[in-house]
Amino acid sequence: MTDHETKAFFGAGIERHLDSLYSVALRLTRTSTDAEDLVAESVAKAWASVDTLNDQARFRPWIFRIMHNTFISDYRKKSIRPIEASFSDGENDDDDLATLLNEQSDDFLTWWSNPEREFFNNLLGEQLLEALDDLPEAFRTVIVLVNVEGFTYDETAEVLAIAPGTVRSRMKRGRTLLQKALWEQRPGSHEGTSHET
Amino acid sequence: MKHDIGCLHAIEAFYAYLDGELDDPDSIAEFEQHIDHCRSCYSRIEMEKVLNQRIQKTAKNDSPEVLRDRVAKLMKKF
Repeated sequence: MTDHETKAFFGAGIERHLDSLYSVALRLTRTSTDAEDLVAESVAKAWASVDTLNDQARFRPWIFRIMHNTFISDYRKKSIRPIEASFSDGENDDDDLATLLNEQSDDFLTWWSNPEREFFNNLLGEQLLEALDDLPEAFRTVIVLVNVEGFTYDETAEVLAIAPGTVRSRMKRGRTLLQKALWEQRPGSHEGTSHET
Repeated sequence: MKHDIGCLHAIEAFYAYLDGELDDPDSIAEFEQHIDHCRSCYSRIEMEKVLNQRIQKTAKNDSPEVLRDRVAKLMKKF
């Protein structure tokens, strides 16, 4: 491939994935200015190491992996919120979902086992984003890559440099913790007051 | 008819099933047989689908014009 062809291929790939890169960057950094900086910095880094892309068909996981590594090295420390400590339960990737559920309150389990469809239909977008952004990064990232961007578990594992089984485990636990956060936000709940700032 | 896998087994497979990551036909058949007969798990799967749709709709963002311009200028330098 000539330099011109490489540049054309790279430009087309960035164009195709720019919205997705920004969406993921926004959930990682949680501010639009940092997300824009992260994407721009990642594009520059990706071009500088374009010769490491051995298989053009793997452009998407390759560019997202570069962005995730850039986030870890340059942005992660800044983005951590104190509230994440309150969601520390269930971060052990080796535990199964039943173990996590066993650790939850009876009130939550009653609600969890008798879901009301209307609850999620009536949820405001900003409530959902707040709950998602408050999840620990490990869970937030896999949920966004899989549920929002449609990555497979194998692709997500490649982006995050973890085992596919860990992706599977984090999806189960992350989605359950997300529902716990939403449950705590529900009208009339006293559970969420400790998370308010 | 195969044996029912039970709710505990089913909840461990919920998200892999929803995300299209249960690739073993027998596992899919066992899971679907369970939710066909378990009202609680069926309701939970339906609710999870609603939440999936809400997450997709809410967390998907278009890149802002300022970023598109910035990246375009950046790539001109390459």
